[in-house]
Amino acid sequence: METIDIGLWVTGGLLVLVIVGMRVAFAAALAGLVGLVWIFWSKKGYASEDLGWALTVAIKTAGQVPHSKVSTHTLSLIPTFILIGYLAYYAGLTRALFEAAKRWVAWVPGGLAVSTVFATAGFAAVSGASVATSAVFARIAIPEMLKIGYNKQFAAGVVAAGGTLASLIPPSAILVIYAIIVEQDVGRLLLAGFIPGAFSALVYGLLIVGIAVIFKNVGPPVGGFTWGQRFAALPGALPIVAVILIIIGFVYNPFGEQAWGTPTEGGAIGAFIVFCFALWRGMRWGQLKSALLETAKLTAMIFSIIWGVLIYVRFLGFADLPGAFSDWITSLTLSPMLILVCILLAYAVLGMFMDAIGMLLLTLPVVYPAVMALNGGETVAAADSAFGMSGPMCAIWFGILVVKMAEFCLITPPIGLNCFVVAGVRPDLSVQDVFRGVMPFFVADGITIALLVAFPAIVLYLPSLAG
Amino acid sequence: MAGHASVLEDLSILSRLDRALLRLERAFALLSGLAVFSLMLMAVVSVSGRNAINAPLPGYVDWIEQAMPLIAFLGISFVQREGGHIRMDIFISRLRGRALWLFELVSVLLILVLMMALVWGSWAHFLRSFDFGAPLWSRDSSIDIGIPLWPAKLLAPVAFSVLCLRLALQVWGFGRALVLGLETPVAVPLIQDAAKQAMAEAEQLDGQG
Amino acid sequence: ATEWNASVWGKRRAFTEHVEKLAELVAEKTGGEFTINVSYGGLSKPRENLDGISIGAFEMAQFCAGYHRDKNRAITVLELPFLGVSNLDEEVAVSHAVYDHPAVMEEMAQWNARIIMTSPMPQYNIVGTGEPRDELADFDGMRVRATGGLGQAFEAVGGVPTSVPATEAFNAMESGVVDTVAFAQHAHLSFGTINKADWWTANLNPGTVNCPVVVNIDAYEALPAEHREALDSSIDEAIDHYLANYGELLKKWDGVLEEKGVQKVMIDDAVIEEFRAKAADPIREAWIADMSAQGIPAQDLYDLVMETLKTAKAGN
Ligand code: NA
Ligand code: NA
Repeated sequence: METIDIGLWVTGGLLVLVIVGMRVAFAAALAGLVGLVWIFWSKKGYASEDLGWALTVAIKTAGQVPHSKVSTHTLSLIPTFILIGYLAYYAGLTRALFEAAKRWVAWVPGGLAVSTVFATAGFAAVSGASVATSAVFARIAIPEMLKIGYNKQFAAGVVAAGGTLASLIPPSAILVIYAIIVEQDVGRLLLAGFIPGAFSALVYGLLIVGIAVIFKNVGPPVGGFTWGQRFAALPGALPIVAVILIIIGFVYNPFGEQAWGTPTEGGAIGAFIVFCFALWRGMRWGQLKSALLETAKLTAMIFSIIWGVLIYVRFLGFADLPGAFSDWITSLTLSPMLILVCILLAYAVLGMFMDAIGMLLLTLPVVYPAVMALNGGETVAAADSAFGMSGPMCAIWFGILVVKMAEFCLITPPIGLNCFVVAGVRPDLSVQDVFRGVMPFFVADGITIALLVAFPAIVLYLPSLAG
Repeated sequence: MAGHASVLEDLSILSRLDRALLRLERAFALLSGLAVFSLMLMAVVSVSGRNAINAPLPGYVDWIEQAMPLIAFLGISFVQREGGHIRMDIFISRLRGRALWLFELVSVLLILVLMMALVWGSWAHFLRSFDFGAPLWSRDSSIDIGIPLWPAKLLAPVAFSVLCLRLALQVWGFGRALVLGLETPVAVPLIQDAAKQAMAEAEQLDGQG
Repeated sequence: ATEWNASVWGKRRAFTEHVEKLAELVAEKTGGEFTINVSYGGLSKPRENLDGISIGAFEMAQFCAGYHRDKNRAITVLELPFLGVSNLDEEVAVSHAVYDHPAVMEEMAQWNARIIMTSPMPQYNIVGTGEPRDELADFDGMRVRATGGLGQAFEAVGGVPTSVPATEAFNAMESGVVDTVAFAQHAHLSFGTINKADWWTANLNPGTVNCPVVVNIDAYEALPAEHREALDSSIDEAIDHYLANYGELLKKWDGVLEEKGVQKVMIDDAVIEEFRAKAADPIREAWIADMSAQGIPAQDLYDLVMETLKTAKAGN
């Protein structure tokens, strides 16, 4: 049997395992291990005396992957970004931010929901992990929305969708992972995420206002805050603004030519400042311990998926599936733009069954070279390219599109991590409730993605300024 | 966290073993959290050293790479105990009673087989970096400052072994539920109902945030 | 038919041309009966290529000695600073002489590996931003991306070696994590460090890294005689192809510097001599003492390098 056939069979098996409810990290690792055994055994012509050899080699090959793949300096920012989120929560920063957003914008229809979206967007500028952002706001924003009579599914949906903003608005773990996989400049990519992230928040906000105007019972406006109260809420939100400015200043040093450090270090510095602030606000060991345990849990979960999927990816490498796919894509005679749209649609479908990081790890080694080739190569000039942008700009643009798709996959059923987390934090909500509540936001994300595809300038404006 | 589920307890041997293992798992998870924390401190030391007195932490990258397995692996069994590793539950959430336990049992058994294989594979990976005859027992070292890699590599089989113990308990728990046709078996993660979760939440978060 | 997998990393570049050529020649000579599939990172991480060979996951691989000094102690002699190698032909000669030394063969055999050829690299000169660093005092406190013996050499004169992965070297330079990056020319090009640089040291020539290509011994010995013959007989031709290809690249180098506005810095012989005195001798002596204590014939290996080098220089 051709190795590519083995690749397809094993992939089918993986889908079955996931559908019958095996935990995704282990299903992927098991599929990868079985696939490796199959590949190695096929190499020996399926001779029965060689099965033992194939098993041993496959197990030892798979056994390298966990240590080998997690021992990476750049992946270290995932746990750091998660820690920031929990420290900010335990320091009361998140609540203060929400309070300020509430007093300033809650007077519009759907007021508290709009405030939640803007507060998550603000929080996104210190948090690099969508899942942690949703977890934190589920505790703060949902109770307030329920108190004034929001539909509980809708309230949950707002928080699950709002959390995804943390992946576009820098700092962002997913953007950094994209940069690592495709070997692009992390700093410029993070910069590129700013406007699309703010843009997404705006689209979410408008959608909520629209819904609230049409369905009166969804979310009433909250008025009655005086200007005095509004300004009184600002000092509480200042620390988070300060943290944002410090992180930005750190990565884009305004006082000199050279930055003070990498985005990875910027994240760690941000976490440290939030930690100091939490100490100042009276955080004790008990709360720090809770923050650390929650960080550890989320981190272990995410890294299990990372190495699990990478065992499967290692098998794909031996099956040479990526090479076959890239050849196939570039041999298509459709227009490049149509192919790009198909790729994004494929991400939407795949994203239903995968988590965001797993999906990027799995697909980018295959899809990224194909997209760059579609545009005319890594070094193509804007004038000669298919999408009207130079190679490096195409890498940034595609990165933002992919990350937006990855955000989308955080809220699509059946595997939408943000929805799981919101349901996990709220005793009164089932996962199905959250998925129902988040559905309107699919429309918002669809609009955002369409606009980002049609007007690349939204993405490329800031990075092109940076030169 | 994600896909939270509750684990019931009673005075049976199975439940006592479950709680004993939980103590170890919790300690491991806390260690992992502390490692994240130290990662943050290390970055602060390195950055301020570099920018303030031009003395970056030597081997900063090496040390981070050493800390990553601690962060990535040690919490794995704690998460499995709570049923926190993500999965698609659209199919399995429709099952009840023995049918549910059967699917859970098969799934946990498959994971156990996988993890035993990976304990072996990651142990072999560790052994290749370990040599009793060499200085610091090292046969593989980091690039910059030559830290021996075997302690970090050893963490994978250690954490995976603890996970195997947890999985063995879950095989026992789900197997027992399947054979006896139980409604609410102990020592395995159950899809949590609202009231119980509310209690768990209240304990965890009261008066914070 | 025999199908081999070769594990290398990065993209296809001057550094992998001999492996590609070998695959091409072998397939040609055996009428497609023996194929070598070159995989760029799909089969292993670069630092674990020796592990993969040892397991038997793939049959051929490339690695660099400095990635893991403890895995390949004997060949680190080739990464000692200031050995005096001045071109790629000499680099090939000394490398292959060392590879044939019994101590090297034995250490590689522990990984079930047998070295078939080297990937000769020119001297690792540094690029940097701002004012050129052309005095030894300028190296004090300089954060330099350099691995292995090269890193130690800069350390000996007050530098701080910082080994970010090659793929992150550009970012590290841009964000100030490192001040300078030591690479061979092709790597300055392919990892983009030359785009960020203001200057390049043309004649510092502090040393280089050593990156052999190995085969799995079991797989090699299991080859049918005609396939093994095809492989063995293609090695010299593959290396020649590599050298010719790299030579073309070096010819274009000055043009690249001009195009990117990078200043070519010539360092005073006196400065280089001072650097050599501070770095080369102590590091070599420490290396010999350390390796001898571990039972490796270090002096012997070093003498072999020097003799081979003398012969190679005389031959030119
Ligand atoms: Na963010
Ligand atoms: Na999804």
